[in-house]
Amino acid sequence: MTSTETISTETTSPCEAPIQTGDLLLSIEDLHAGVGESEILRGVSLQIRAGEIHALMGRNGSGKSTLSKVIAGHPAYTVTAGTIHYRGQNLLELSPEERACSGVFLGFQYPVEIPGVSNLEFLRVSCNARRQHQGQEELDTFTFEDHVRDTMAIVQMDPAFLERSVNEGFSGGEKKRNEILQMALLEPLVAILDETDSGLDIDALRIVANGVKRLARPTTATLLITHYQRLLDAITPDFVHVMAEGRILRTGNKDLAMALEQRGYDWIDETDETDEGETPQP
Amino acid sequence: MIHPSQSRPWLEQLLQALAHQSGQSSPQDLRPLNCWPEPGSEAWRFTDLGCLTQLDPSRLHTQTAAPHWPGAPRGLGHLRLQLDGHGKWVGPHGESPSWPHGLRPVDPIGLLPGQVARTVTASGKLPLGARLNGLTTGPALALQVKGPDPVHLELAIGVEQTQAWLAPHLLLVLEPGAHLSLTLHTAVRAQAAVVPMVEAQLGPGAHLEEALLSSGCQGATFLFNSFIDQSPQSVYRRTSVSWGWGLGREEPFVRQSGGEAKTHLQGLAVARGQSLLDTHSTVCFDGPGGQLEQRHQALADDQAHSIFNGCVVVPRVAQQTDASQLSRNLLMSTRARIDTKPQLEIVADDVRCTHGATISCLQDDELFYLQSRGIGRDQASRLLQRGFCEEILQHLPNFALGWPPLQTLLNVPE
Repeated sequence: MTSTETISTETTSPCEAPIQTGDLLLSIEDLHAGVGESEILRGVSLQIRAGEIHALMGRNGSGKSTLSKVIAGHPAYTVTAGTIHYRGQNLLELSPEERACSGVFLGFQYPVEIPGVSNLEFLRVSCNARRQHQGQEELDTFTFEDHVRDTMAIVQMDPAFLERSVNEGFSGGEKKRNEILQMALLEPLVAILDETDSGLDIDALRIVANGVKRLARPTTATLLITHYQRLLDAITPDFVHVMAEGRILRTGNKDLAMALEQRGYDWIDETDETDEGETPQP
Repeated sequence: MIHPSQSRPWLEQLLQALAHQSGQSSPQDLRPLNCWPEPGSEAWRFTDLGCLTQLDPSRLHTQTAAPHWPGAPRGLGHLRLQLDGHGKWVGPHGESPSWPHGLRPVDPIGLLPGQVARTVTASGKLPLGARLNGLTTGPALALQVKGPDPVHLELAIGVEQTQAWLAPHLLLVLEPGAHLSLTLHTAVRAQAAVVPMVEAQLGPGAHLEEALLSSGCQGATFLFNSFIDQSPQSVYRRTSVSWGWGLGREEPFVRQSGGEAKTHLQGLAVARGQSLLDTHSTVCFDGPGGQLEQRHQALADDQAHSIFNGCVVVPRVAQQTDASQLSRNLLMSTRARIDTKPQLEIVADDVRCTHGATISCLQDDELFYLQSRGIGRDQASRLLQRGFCEEILQHLPNFALGWPPLQTLLNVPE
């Protein structure tokens, strides 16, 4: 973390420029968003820089998943105020696929099952879309299959899953591994993982967490949305944010997550902002 | 919708033309006039026969085109035949068939055309397509399948000239324990009509696997009737894929004569443009312990119309029947139309029967999931449409997947 300055006071890096550790990747300012007349996000501000791992915690319904979907461009949500800039570019002007191609990745809490579409075909098409956006040559079927089989080792995934329909009949753990596999193939700059740890047994959690750690680079950033300390035991976050009622109420370091684990979210409501683990909001 | 009174002169002309083709001076059998759909007929309520009656009976012919066979034949136990311009089935180079072990033509003298159909329907009045088929002269392909070794029979019908009228008739007798894999490719690229009819008797323990791929074009009509009589312990597996027809109607009628047989019906209809694709299926259980698994999927885009009517009859004698029927439909356009009617008629009280129907557009969550991986919305839509088709296509035998027209189906238009 380098400063609390906003995007408007910092020199914005063009998307094509090489990324250095500490470069501002994602900047959210006073974001308000909701579904229809219902406002869910009520002024979220957050900055994420290259090389950082952020954890976002909060009660059910506090707006964590909504924030992740708004960043990814889910059409069900309307942004009524505020901004999201990604590497200096107004992210809200981009379609979901443009956001993904430019390096924003959302790992779904509930990955969607798509019957009839083979996982291999899906992965190849999405990987090539990202490569095309980056000016790289598309991979043919055979080259891609070799590539994906190598990459599957990161999440210890059975290649048999390539032949199956996307997520159809996968267990909860297999779906989450498939999400991390997609993340590995797409090589995002900002990865948002929405409750990737939910529904995982101990071994699957370790595999997924190791995968996330292996994929983290000094030039990329990760936002982990989670309810549990156990994921943060495996992946140490640089910042922990607590959301409530559509806002980030508190930001701290890993000690804040541990305090939450011990005391629950009521503790946040009852304490002022100078308690343990508190650091300035990035 | 064309009214029966409007079509009567056309039907009379057709009968004259078919009688002339067969060397008769006048039509001998005017009974088809009686089976033309009456106004308000439930079975033809949504199905307009206008595409058929646009044919000019005075110009009808039986010319066929060489089909585009996929790859090379698969060797022993595998036979390819195509329909020639005289209503005969010949090899890919016009040669007489070289029958593989286990498959041989039989003189259907003991089994008259329409006899299996009447047994299966338990009615003297056959559907319109079967009646029209019966009017057309030409030898039926009557085959006996014997022995436990699987036999593969591929049949192909190609049409490229307008005003073709083809009405092939296939009669299959599967002896106890026999195993036949039958693929019927039909590709029509002109204003024409193909009116096939299949009758099959499955002995105890016999297996019949059918893959039916039919591709048409605007102005082309396909009326396909099949009648399957299943003995106990027999298995009938049918995978049908149909697209492109101005009017396409398939009417499989299956009867499990003694129960305790298995029937699997998989159907895919892809209706685009102004296509009308109709499936009317009937499965009757005449004994206990029968099984049915039926899944029909239809995609309707542009101004196309898809119709499904699936009737399952479970009388009191058919206790412990296990039947499921699902109709899934994808509506891609506000001007497209889908009518679906799963129908269970159950009298027996100790059965497990389920049915259901869904009509939906592409799911926003599925589209967003693909978009969130960098796939554009249009490409995501095409991928999902292909996925919808693949759910049925995956049941086709591998060699059927290589059929060139099928690739056009999978190349979803942009």
